[in-house]
Amino acid sequence: MIEKQSSVKGLGPGFWPFTALLSLLAIANIYYWAVTPLSRWMPTAVTVATQIDELFRVFLAVGIALFIFILGYAVFFSIVFRARKDDPPDALGVQIHDNHKLELWWTVLPTIAVILISWVSVRVWFPIQIASAATPAGLVVESIGHQWFYSFRYPGINGEVTGNMHLPDNEPVTLNVTSEDVIHSFWVPAMRLKQDMVPGLVNVMRFTTDRDGRYRIICTEFCGVNHGVMNTQYLVIEPKVAYDAWYHKWQVKNATASNALPQVSSAPVDLSDGSAAAGQVLFSQKCSACHAVGPFSQRIVGPGLKGVLHDPAHPNLLSGKPATPANVADILQHGLQGSYGQMPTQVQNALTDKDIANLVAYLNSLK
Amino acid sequence: MAVAATHVGGGIADHVHPEPQGFIRRYVFSIDHKIIGIQYLITGFIFLVLAGLLAEVIRTQLMNANGGFVSNNTYNEVYSIHGSAMVWLVVIPLMTGAFGNFVMPLQLGARDVAFPWLNMISFWMFPVAGLMLFSSFLMGAPVAGWTEYPPMSLQGEAGTSMWCAAIFLVGISSTLTGMNFMVTILKMRAPGMTLTRMPLFVWAQLATAPLSMVATTALAGALAALFMERQFGVPFFDPTKGGSPLLWQHMFWFYSHPAVYIMILPAFGMISEILPTFARKPIFGYKMIAFSSVTIALAGFMVWAHHMFTSGLAPFMQLPFMLLTFVIAVPTGVKIFSWITTLWGGKIHFTSAMLFAIGFVVLFALGGITGIFLASVPTDLHLHGTYFVVAHFHYVLVGGSLMGIFAGFYYWFPKMSGRMMNEALGKWHFWLFVAGFNGTFLPMHWLGFEGMPRRVAVYDPQFQFWNRVESVSSYVMTIAILLFFVNILISLRRGKKAGPNPWKARTLEWQIPSPPHYYNFKHVPTVYGLPYDFSEPLPYRGLDDELNDAPAPVPAGAH
Repeated sequence: MIEKQSSVKGLGPGFWPFTALLSLLAIANIYYWAVTPLSRWMPTAVTVATQIDELFRVFLAVGIALFIFILGYAVFFSIVFRARKDDPPDALGVQIHDNHKLELWWTVLPTIAVILISWVSVRVWFPIQIASAATPAGLVVESIGHQWFYSFRYPGINGEVTGNMHLPDNEPVTLNVTSEDVIHSFWVPAMRLKQDMVPGLVNVMRFTTDRDGRYRIICTEFCGVNHGVMNTQYLVIEPKVAYDAWYHKWQVKNATASNALPQVSSAPVDLSDGSAAAGQVLFSQKCSACHAVGPFSQRIVGPGLKGVLHDPAHPNLLSGKPATPANVADILQHGLQGSYGQMPTQVQNALTDKDIANLVAYLNSLK
Repeated sequence: MAVAATHVGGGIADHVHPEPQGFIRRYVFSIDHKIIGIQYLITGFIFLVLAGLLAEVIRTQLMNANGGFVSNNTYNEVYSIHGSAMVWLVVIPLMTGAFGNFVMPLQLGARDVAFPWLNMISFWMFPVAGLMLFSSFLMGAPVAGWTEYPPMSLQGEAGTSMWCAAIFLVGISSTLTGMNFMVTILKMRAPGMTLTRMPLFVWAQLATAPLSMVATTALAGALAALFMERQFGVPFFDPTKGGSPLLWQHMFWFYSHPAVYIMILPAFGMISEILPTFARKPIFGYKMIAFSSVTIALAGFMVWAHHMFTSGLAPFMQLPFMLLTFVIAVPTGVKIFSWITTLWGGKIHFTSAMLFAIGFVVLFALGGITGIFLASVPTDLHLHGTYFVVAHFHYVLVGGSLMGIFAGFYYWFPKMSGRMMNEALGKWHFWLFVAGFNGTFLPMHWLGFEGMPRRVAVYDPQFQFWNRVESVSSYVMTIAILLFFVNILISLRRGKKAGPNPWKARTLEWQIPSPPHYYNFKHVPTVYGLPYDFSEPLPYRGLDDELNDAPAPVPAGAH
């Protein structure tokens, strides 16, 4: 094979001046992040936010500097080492395969970088996630995610607080978050903190409030059709006096609210104005996992419910009572433990009395 | 006989079946890896168009802060199917099914993959699964994104169960392909092709295959559980019945993190073929690139919970997952440095393939750097679930994988079709695509930081300006892809004849006619070295007859 191998003097034309230029840009970038607090773009509401911002700034400084070199050299080498019109058609590049010293360096250097990044990360991570568990809990608040709003529980206030969440400033806070339906997330960008609200699990956030202000609470885990507007409530951090006034207002307002879990009422449900259309929607959400809209024999978990109130072959329900709207409502209210297995109660299924009336109206419309 | 004299390999590898003649056996239910590869390519591109149109529905909806283009529920269906289709019907099948099938056996000097019939079955599962996935629109498509976290996915309409079945099926296809490729690479290399003489694209496929084989089975388990819970009420994930929502997340990410590498490792391989060919010099640090692919594949199994830092892991569990994720930066960095050093001292020809390859290196690097922000727990607590994440994975999957697919396509199109692509259109495609891509996804970084969550059909009006920039840029990207398809159609009809080796490349597939014969090689060649020494004679023997009129191998007796 005849070839014209190119030869390159040193590291090629302009390599060192260009490297100097890239280094200058990289240093300018590092300097910029060293002097620019991120609160320029977003306020900090809690004390850890400043530490997390410092980590952000380290990553921005190092990451963008690294990218300047990658982009710079990729473009620079592409220009300097482009094939030219007057090259012979079979011109070749410099035939080097590797350079063990260089490869050793660019394995060792990223390794050192990784160790540094790990070290700065752990330094911020440890106090937020581990050490904070050993400090006094401070004010303990609960937040519960719902489709599609947040509610809050405060010690000394009966029932649930709705609307905005208030906290006094300069106060250590333990926030326990959970959900009553699907996974939500509790994110206050100004806190730089976020925890998913998982049904059946309590996740803990610990922080010390810092700056007064109103900060938006945003859901970041997809939670259904209105997920995009689950961002209308605020975390209000305010002086102790204002917080106490707010706290007292809710204490009075919720004085008679119950802290007990909701109970199944013993009174029968009023079925007079059930809506079959609303019942159909509910059915697809709450019932269709176990019940088909089909004949009795079409069993998923429980029997098929088409014509449950109009089936001459089955004059009685599985509860043994005659198939009447009131007796169907009774099963929806109190559940049923029978030969077909377990039908949950009204509370377990999270059905209101109105829901039951709607469902019965819907079932009655299936003939 | 002259044939016998040049014939060094011999034995069972020279056994050839007659080429099937009927249209159905030749082009529909073919067992030829090249035809199957092209079938994957066409099917994958069809799904790329469909899922790309869904992406434009997303961007059009987000033109306005209060949406209004489609209903919230339709929007949720659209982005869920967009993500699922792009991952399982576009990137994975194109990376492994299309390019792996067409190129890898040719580069090995093999006549086909190890299990050709299995290969055909794997392929045909894929369009069926694709139709199933898109058919879920007819029965209420899934809404909870491609991750389908329960309990949300338990509330989804019937289409969510169809989604489970479709992904399950395409997962089986992917598992079988992984197994097929693994055996092919380990058992069917031409004589003399030791592991350390394999082209880097083959190395990438070798690193990918076990990921497909092992990880996808975890996904299959998760999907089966979700399907059973939805259809038969078996409580795996519903906490009110004693299930655990986090169980799904562990099982899903135990697959889906390795899947990220299924989607990018083959692109690493393509780039490692394209850069040396057009820089006219050996790949820099062959062993480092090959070894780092394997390292990334292994480490990829040990980092899945970094997707779950805000989900409710025990805090001390965050530490090992964070540190192991950082470790992956080392082999990834080694690759990027090796590619850039391959450019150094080259004689670089800026073909469309080369432009996409260089673009890949730069954009993928940016996606890797933003990965650091998400791997570190404290910064992830802020960024998780925001548009920053959307930006990050689109830089890796579009700026990375899709750019890799384009680079690979421009590179191997002459081998597949026998014709050259139009370079002018290819360059328009590249520059428009890069401009549109960065305009679409770069602003998402600061939108996410400033508080825009992902998967929202409506958003805070303060973010509207940048969202409009993104939407307009995404239309530019669409035009670029349109040019790409126009280019393919024009080139198929009018493209210049390519000849066997238009790029003067040195791997085996370029030493035989374009498109290759049914049996690939008249005689299985013997390999004497690495394919990247441009100043040396080709390291193969036994190829003398490939480009002349010497008779094709005689098929073995009737079977």
